[in-house]
Amino acid sequence: MTRDEIKDLVLEIIEDIDEDADFDALDPAEPLRDQLDLDSMDFLDIVMELRKRHQLQIPEEDYPQLATLNSCVDYLEPLLKDA
Amino acid sequence: MKYPFLIIGSGLSGLAAAIRISNYCPDVLLLDQHSRIGGLNSYYYRNNRLLETGLHAITNYAPKKQKHAPINKLFRQLKIKRDEFSFKEQIGSQIHFGSDQILNFNNDVNLLISEVERLFPDCHDDFCSLLKKIEVHNPFQNTTGLSARKYLEEMISDKRLIEMLLCPLCYYGSSVENDMELNQFVIMFRSIFLEGMFRPEGTIRDFLQVLKQRFVDQGGTLRLKSKVSRILVKNNTAYGVELDSGEIIEADNILSTAGYEETLALTGRDLKTRIGKRLAFIESIFLVDDSIKNNLTTSKTIIFYNSGELFNYQQSAEIVDYRSGVICFPQNFQDIGISDPLEIRLTHLANYDLWQKLSSTPEEYRRVKLQCSARSAETAEKIIGIFSDNIVYQDTFTPVTIQRYTLKHEGAIYGSPRKIADGDIGFTNLFLAGTDQGFLGIIGSMLSGVSIANQHFLTKI
Repeated sequence: MTRDEIKDLVLEIIEDIDEDADFDALDPAEPLRDQLDLDSMDFLDIVMELRKRHQLQIPEEDYPQLATLNSCVDYLEPLLKDA
Repeated sequence: MKYPFLIIGSGLSGLAAAIRISNYCPDVLLLDQHSRIGGLNSYYYRNNRLLETGLHAITNYAPKKQKHAPINKLFRQLKIKRDEFSFKEQIGSQIHFGSDQILNFNNDVNLLISEVERLFPDCHDDFCSLLKKIEVHNPFQNTTGLSARKYLEEMISDKRLIEMLLCPLCYYGSSVENDMELNQFVIMFRSIFLEGMFRPEGTIRDFLQVLKQRFVDQGGTLRLKSKVSRILVKNNTAYGVELDSGEIIEADNILSTAGYEETLALTGRDLKTRIGKRLAFIESIFLVDDSIKNNLTTSKTIIFYNSGELFNYQQSAEIVDYRSGVICFPQNFQDIGISDPLEIRLTHLANYDLWQKLSSTPEEYRRVKLQCSARSAETAEKIIGIFSDNIVYQDTFTPVTIQRYTLKHEGAIYGSPRKIADGDIGFTNLFLAGTDQGFLGIIGSMLSGVSIANQHFLTKI
């Protein structure tokens, strides 16, 4: 997957969790949680969806690396390079 | 077949956990002892009519746009659109104390604030600071065992107001005598007074049907009439269950919604000492022809009442404690329309041991049951007007009925006074959700299923 495809994947997952999520003003360098008003339960859903769709096992200690859209892409890029 | 996930009990917590887990792993087996799902909140048919077993009202009403309200969190986690249901808010409810004090409340907290000011003018400021404190209290912090009554007494000088506020909260969710655990109190206060009461259009059957369909569509397996007689355990690990029929089903992970003591008993590890007193209830349903329509019977949703000087929320010494109770009119929600006949539900505290003793002589048990429902009606008539002559059908659940149908020990619908917030009951792969995890009510128990699934099961997929 390219970086853009990974970005779309993450946003698609978030849209599935919250259909009213507003990405227009999203700053990719700032935490998703604050900007999109996600809580820890929503966050777990992102991890679980990545597992379901791409069989990715993301250990709990890596969750902080999914904080912003940019850091998600950085973290997922090597894991999804063949996807 | 060995199931990765097995859930005991298809009440609302079990169903919610089943939906949550099967969204990511379809190999979930949900077992229930009955021929119908729903646990405490199920239904049955009598007199050509569907009767609900437990539902008065659902608490935690919040508009869709409040993203972090428990109800919206729940539906997001279940991936069910709220629009699949049509929610009807309550019309208005009351708390009656003694012969003259009536406090009105509805889903707008401003009514409660002005009612407190009307009845307890000296407590207005105290009450407003209580609301502010409750707003910022985090009920999920690890401080269990604090007394809600003490917390209230530190802030509110009028004892009567404290009891009037406690009455609905205790009746809709306290497993502790004459008090509530503080975190539990904050959750209940928010869900009843700050959020509010509603019910879905249709019956509980329609609501359950949507949940069941979602579970089955995700590939989950539901088996009814499958009573678990033992949870098979080796050291601190469970490896399956044995059913009443003798059938053995193996599982990697088990979620029990059967209650704390009840689950331990299934593993063969009975508690040596009992945990405090359990609170049992009796409920009568009356179908009444519509000649009793009056201001209260057509416009109030729930009336909580206490006739004595003090509010006694404790194990009843008599077979039924008529001094306080709940009167529910299940048709009095906005835009539901008055049904004919009208339904009235009356609830009181009751004594399990006395009913249990009686049940060994079925004729006597039936006679006392009728006597008690007549006395209960008489008590309610003092508040809502005479209806006894207009009853077309009636039915009563005693603590014995509740124990038989729900497995809840001693018919205690709110379970053990001790709650296990993290669901950990001392096993590596067997956890607890539901009543004894501590979140109560329909939305609460479903969130209980979801949060225990999140904490202990999703990580194992």
